[in-house]
Amino acid sequence: MTVWAPAVAAVGVGAALVTGTWAVATLDTAVAGVVAGRGLHLRRAALAPLRRAALLAGRHPVTTERPDAPAWVVAGPLLLALAGAALSALPLAEGLAVADVPDGLVLYGAAMALVMVAVFLHGWAPNSVFPLIGAYRFVAQALSYQIALFLVLLGAALPAGSLGLGAIVEAQSELWNVIRQPLGLPLFLVAGTALSFWGPLALPDGEDLAGGTAAESSGRELLVWRTARAAVLVATAAVAAACFLGGWLGPVLPGPVWMVAKTLALLVILVVPAHVVPRVRIERFVSFGWTILLPLSLVDVFAAGVVALRTST
Amino acid sequence: MAPFGAAATVVVAMLVGAVCVRGLGGLGREGSTAGGRVPFLGGWPPEAHAWSRYHARYYPMALLFLAFDMEMVFMYPWAVVFVEEGLVALVEMLMFIVILLLGVLYAWREGAFRWA
Amino acid sequence: MGLNSLRIRLAGAAPAPVFVVCGLGGRERVVDLYAEPGLQVYSTPRHAGVLLVVGRLTRGLVAPALQAHDQMASPRLVVRWTAADGDDPGDHGDVFPNAVVAHGSAAEVAAAVAAAHRELLAGDRPPSAALLADIEPAPWQGVGPYGTGGTGMTGGVPFGRPMAARAADRDDLELDQLKLRLGPLLPSLPSGLVLDVALQGDVVQSAAVGDNPYRLYAGDPVPAAPAPGLFERACHQPVRIAELERARARHHLRWAAGLARLVGLEALGVRLTTLSARLAASEESAQAERLLTRIGRSRWVAGTFAGGDLDDAGLAGLGPVARAAGSEEDARTHDPAYRALGFEPVLGEGGDTPGRVRQRLAEAVQALRLATAAGDATTTVSGVVEGPRGRLGRGAPPPSAALVDLVAGVVEGLEWGDAVAAIASLDLDVEEAARHPQMAMP
Repeated sequence: MTVWAPAVAAVGVGAALVTGTWAVATLDTAVAGVVAGRGLHLRRAALAPLRRAALLAGRHPVTTERPDAPAWVVAGPLLLALAGAALSALPLAEGLAVADVPDGLVLYGAAMALVMVAVFLHGWAPNSVFPLIGAYRFVAQALSYQIALFLVLLGAALPAGSLGLGAIVEAQSELWNVIRQPLGLPLFLVAGTALSFWGPLALPDGEDLAGGTAAESSGRELLVWRTARAAVLVATAAVAAACFLGGWLGPVLPGPVWMVAKTLALLVILVVPAHVVPRVRIERFVSFGWTILLPLSLVDVFAAGVVALRTST
Repeated sequence: MAPFGAAATVVVAMLVGAVCVRGLGGLGREGSTAGGRVPFLGGWPPEAHAWSRYHARYYPMALLFLAFDMEMVFMYPWAVVFVEEGLVALVEMLMFIVILLLGVLYAWREGAFRWA
Repeated sequence: MGLNSLRIRLAGAAPAPVFVVCGLGGRERVVDLYAEPGLQVYSTPRHAGVLLVVGRLTRGLVAPALQAHDQMASPRLVVRWTAADGDDPGDHGDVFPNAVVAHGSAAEVAAAVAAAHRELLAGDRPPSAALLADIEPAPWQGVGPYGTGGTGMTGGVPFGRPMAARAADRDDLELDQLKLRLGPLLPSLPSGLVLDVALQGDVVQSAAVGDNPYRLYAGDPVPAAPAPGLFERACHQPVRIAELERARARHHLRWAAGLARLVGLEALGVRLTTLSARLAASEESAQAERLLTRIGRSRWVAGTFAGGDLDDAGLAGLGPVARAAGSEEDARTHDPAYRALGFEPVLGEGGDTPGRVRQRLAEAVQALRLATAAGDATTTVSGVVEGPRGRLGRGAPPPSAALVDLVAGVVEGLEWGDAVAAIASLDLDVEEAARHPQMAMP
């Protein structure tokens, strides 16, 4: 049975996202401690997100002079819901998914395309200069990575002959896509970092913009926004684990454990550059996205096609 | 339709849940004063509303994005039937892409990706 | 309730969220605050709960500080970090009636702030009420000068403020332009710098530096002159070269920490700050040298920064900024003690932002190497010393005064992120610029 009772499904996805965002925040704090020269303190790093969340939960949100209130209320929750939509198409084990539709990749693509809308709304709503600059920057950033992101996923779908995420994982039972299509995972990770605007591509929420789209957010609004950002990162890592690292496939342990382990490994790879690589300039990223990322992803798709034809004949 | 229903339920439930979490404790209007509602610019209040129209320096880029998005629409079903159709499908899509790539090259040379 | 008390206990264990107001004499202390583990310094008061006023709150900083205080979300608190000895009559810090006063080193103040914050969360300390009057800035006037009328955001002056005016942009288009005063408390700018910019989107079309908030007006009590620093002393008496060069490296390391924060590498900034305090130990000095060399590698710097060209006219005596643009002027070349160590000024690679950043990082590495090689050699007194920002000495105006004049030219036409990086690459000290004799006007 591929469909759970909807209420259980919603709770399950919500719990997965909350745990995932807590893991992201823990990793982020731990890596920051190592780079700052304070050493690796995993226990302290694991408690830090809970403490920060408790601090934020106790403060009131603030409002500005003439905000766009409906947009401000919806922006953070919309980002969180989109990450949930991405996770709902993802299978945790064979047959174990909330909604393993035959077009799971299209569902994921649609959800990630709307991330641009959520971030723009979050920057537009406060009617303040720095958030607005962050919003426009993200539109430029989004237009530059999106095609590459979807093309690379298509390359992973070619050997499977289907757009469903469960079928893509099953098609990797002989060989994982990360080996069949060596370009795929690195390109997806770069585009995924841009999608979740993390680390070197945290342009809409950058320090030079006094916090960017979140500059006027406080209290629970800020808590929901930061959780949503981390949730998009978790969804990106989970989809990459399914499409390139073989999802639930693995020798000894049960499927879900492999899925979680692979997602965690990818999360480490996504979180470390945030403290080591400086922020990329928007102009540089735009030309990089169109002149390097896009052609490389096309090469990846066609190489994957040739490999798929060879192995099928 | 049932799987889509499940996905839709997840989305709606998370949206509603998160709106409730965000709304707990008010939306910021009570307890705020006029001095506190000023947007943060480093200490002085702004003269004008921030909502303004940007020079869409990425307008040509948005057109290019649309072109590739329409190509994506064709590539989704192409990926599903690709293995059955064989080399012909690969070559046809390659021709399609090369024509679009010429557009990217033209935009790049014309400075569509220049920022300021 | 158990859940609420658990939440308060958890929240009290988190680093206290702080927004810093850097007053007169506070600049060096603020750099130390960023590296304190018990505090988290934020770039906007909305994310903070504690307003930490460091140094003397001058007249020009009162209004911005009050506004930052009101912009914080409640519950909120004010802490003032003053010097321990007595009151400062020129300090307007009493505009915050219930402020906690803290003294001592950065670590002691951080502990005091954390303790006060925990009391605030537990309800043992009353939260600070809003200090600005609750009056709307201007009533809504929906009817415009041409009788356009309208509701909502159309026509006239909606909700107290006009919409963006139009001005010419490139391609001869008339587009919306925002004229803003970006204030003294914006953390991405040097503390105290007031910039009047005209922004089209995120491109700075023109900029001008506003009034210096640290300047003294006639009738303001003059602050006690700070003890002369190492570079000032070196003008009149011989100083060990190792100490002088280490002080120079320390200055550049702390500048680099601020730059690292600007590009999102907060943890790296903390590492650079902690290293800067321990340069006397040879191991930390070697670590700092390796780190700076790694950061200063061309491709890293060239990829992260761009723009900000300055031609070398008018850069006389401006230290690394001038040398990056091609000048070879360095007061240390006239010192026989330095020449005996084989000193040569670092060659600049370009007068733009990446060039200035690389120049400073290279000069910091050179300073560390000179410090290790110098042994007991001392400088020769000549009245003129090469400070970390430029030439110091008899009669020379402070370098920051000339650097502030360069700001308007260097950011014109740049995208906002590049503009902020260009200003950071100049290494301004707005307080030093205020000490220029011309600034002490009534």
